[in-house]
Amino acid sequence: MTNNNLNKLLVFCVLFCAQKTSIVHGAQALETKVALLLHAEPENPKCFAEGMSDLTCFWEEDEERAGSADQYSFIYTYQNENSSECSVTALPAAGGKRLYFCRLSQTQLFVPLDIRVFRDDLLIHNRSLFIEVVFLLDPPANLTLTSTGMQGQLKASWLPPSLKYMGDSMMYEVSYAMAGSHIGKVEAVQASSELILRGLQSGTKYKVRIRVKLDGISYSGYWSAWTDPVLMETMPGDLDPLIVSLSLIISLVLTLLSLLVLMSHRRFLLKKIWPIIPTPESKFQGLFKVYGGDFQEWLGHSTGGLWLRPTYFYSEEFPAPLEVLSEVSLGPVLPSSALPPKASEALGEEEDEDKKLKRVDPALMEGWRETPQEHWLMDQLRAIHKHPAPWTQSSLLESHDAYVTLNAQNHSVEEPLDDILEETLPLQVLFASGRTSSESRSDLGSVQQSSGSGRLSSQSSFEYPNHTWPSKGPGYTYMAVADSGVSMDYSPMSSNKIDDIGKGVIYTNEYKNEIPAHRRPIGTPIHFAF
Amino acid sequence: MSSISGLVAVLLTVLQWAGRGLPSPVRPICDPRVLDRFIMEARDTETALRGCKAGCGVTGTFVVPLTNVDFVVLETKDTEEQALEVQSGLFLFGQALGAVRESVSRAAVKSLIDNNKSNIHSLGQVLRSLHIKDLSLSPAPAVGDSATRKVSSLSELLRVHTNFLRGKVRLLLTNAPACQQNST
Repeated sequence: MTNNNLNKLLVFCVLFCAQKTSIVHGAQALETKVALLLHAEPENPKCFAEGMSDLTCFWEEDEERAGSADQYSFIYTYQNENSSECSVTALPAAGGKRLYFCRLSQTQLFVPLDIRVFRDDLLIHNRSLFIEVVFLLDPPANLTLTSTGMQGQLKASWLPPSLKYMGDSMMYEVSYAMAGSHIGKVEAVQASSELILRGLQSGTKYKVRIRVKLDGISYSGYWSAWTDPVLMETMPGDLDPLIVSLSLIISLVLTLLSLLVLMSHRRFLLKKIWPIIPTPESKFQGLFKVYGGDFQEWLGHSTGGLWLRPTYFYSEEFPAPLEVLSEVSLGPVLPSSALPPKASEALGEEEDEDKKLKRVDPALMEGWRETPQEHWLMDQLRAIHKHPAPWTQSSLLESHDAYVTLNAQNHSVEEPLDDILEETLPLQVLFASGRTSSESRSDLGSVQQSSGSGRLSSQSSFEYPNHTWPSKGPGYTYMAVADSGVSMDYSPMSSNKIDDIGKGVIYTNEYKNEIPAHRRPIGTPIHFAF
Repeated sequence: MSSISGLVAVLLTVLQWAGRGLPSPVRPICDPRVLDRFIMEARDTETALRGCKAGCGVTGTFVVPLTNVDFVVLETKDTEEQALEVQSGLFLFGQALGAVRESVSRAAVKSLIDNNKSNIHSLGQVLRSLHIKDLSLSPAPAVGDSATRKVSSLSELLRVHTNFLRGKVRLLLTNAPACQQNST
């Protein structure tokens, strides 16, 4: 018996709880509808029908002016019928308001209904309406999202409100948006309980909600409240075959184009990536292949290669005329009279030379001696001119310039070679051997060597800081090395400072070397054996 | 002359017999959009003639059916009873609209009234397709006066007409057994 009582108590409690829950739910639903109508309906009292046979009307009053529910009377009259009264109930509302309700449980549709509200016999509200046009339904239930099996689609299905005769008069609005986004789309559907949402992004979560309203032909009303949103993720994206094929075609075309470009510029690219190490093989025919790099051998066997050699060294050098300003008269062979005319000529040409110098590359000018040096030299020349006494080397050689001293030699100059070597060598070679100094060579590139007893030696004035020129025997011919930077040892007494010459020292004023002072071709010292 | 009248009588008899013998439409018209179109046209007519001055020159009273629908009560009625109400009501409206057409002079108003009259006739066809007897053409209404009331203006007549179509006629067509079988 105790067990029975306990069981009954338990059942009662469960039912009570369930009812309470439903009451709570109902209260919440009512609250929502009231809020909706307060917003949507301007007339008073605000009435709505939830089902086929009911009508709920309410109106709002401020708490201060509100009276008790007994003070109000709700009178309703159908067309061609007698009036009836509805009992009023009051409920508190938010914002210091009070709500008064009246609910009819049996209604007639498609016929006008007159409503009058009295407060203490004073008419406060009056309204005539058709009940079938004030429906405010509950939101659809069981909103479910499923996948259709296709990209970018979701199927929404729901349970329509259970109104027997109105199923085909219901229309729905489905609102869907990406989860987290406030911008969504709305799709309307009529007399259906499912809808396929298309054009959705793949692999994205969407939130969907729905509301219902009667279509307005036979029945009409207000939009219901939105359902709670339901979330669902669409199918993951798949590579669109069109996009894949287009991408492949484009990449293929680009590859072909790049290949074409590469092939057309392959030589240039090869040079850049894998530069060819220059070898002098082309200039020395057979040197490496036949003689294995033995230069002396090659020299011995090559015909005329000796004389041709300098041309290859200085193939890019420009010939430039050279005028010897002064020479040392070491013997009767050197007529001193050659100098004055030379000097005068030099003096006379001084101005011209200056002009010509100015035309020369400014880079050259920098390498030249400073102007005071020229002035000093000119002074010296003038002094000499005034006092044409045989001068010694030392006075002449006080200049910082390097220049050539010539000795009489018993060697012969090979004339034919002049033509060959004229345009190539930057060397200044001044020869007075066997010839008058007036025939001093003014052409660069005339390297002349004698065979036989002739000896050549070159010295630069740098070697003698005190400007003393060692007096060599008359058997030496000095040859100045040009500023091209090639160091050539022509004698055992080669200067250590021959390299300095390669730094672009320009000698005398008459020097018209057009070779840029900074240029220095790669070369190795070449030893001549005589 | 008597022979000619006799021939005409025979001819009419034959036609009537043939008319009766004609089978009703095989497929029931269950699409609610058919009636919805009639309802919308009736509403448009009501709206258009609401502002008619002096009732568009229409005078007199018209007998119209009651339009109220109580679903609770409706549940207790069977289809036959509902069909009877609908058909008698349609008959009354047909009569009233015919009388109105005679009264009006404006061609626009006449065309609107004609349209509604033809819709009522079409509704009879729809009912017949649902195996509901068309009593709209019957000379006497099948229901009593309690189911009717009187109106005295064209706008009221048209309003009642719209409400009748929206309510009782629609419910009858929605609940027609022929359509119920198709939907299930």
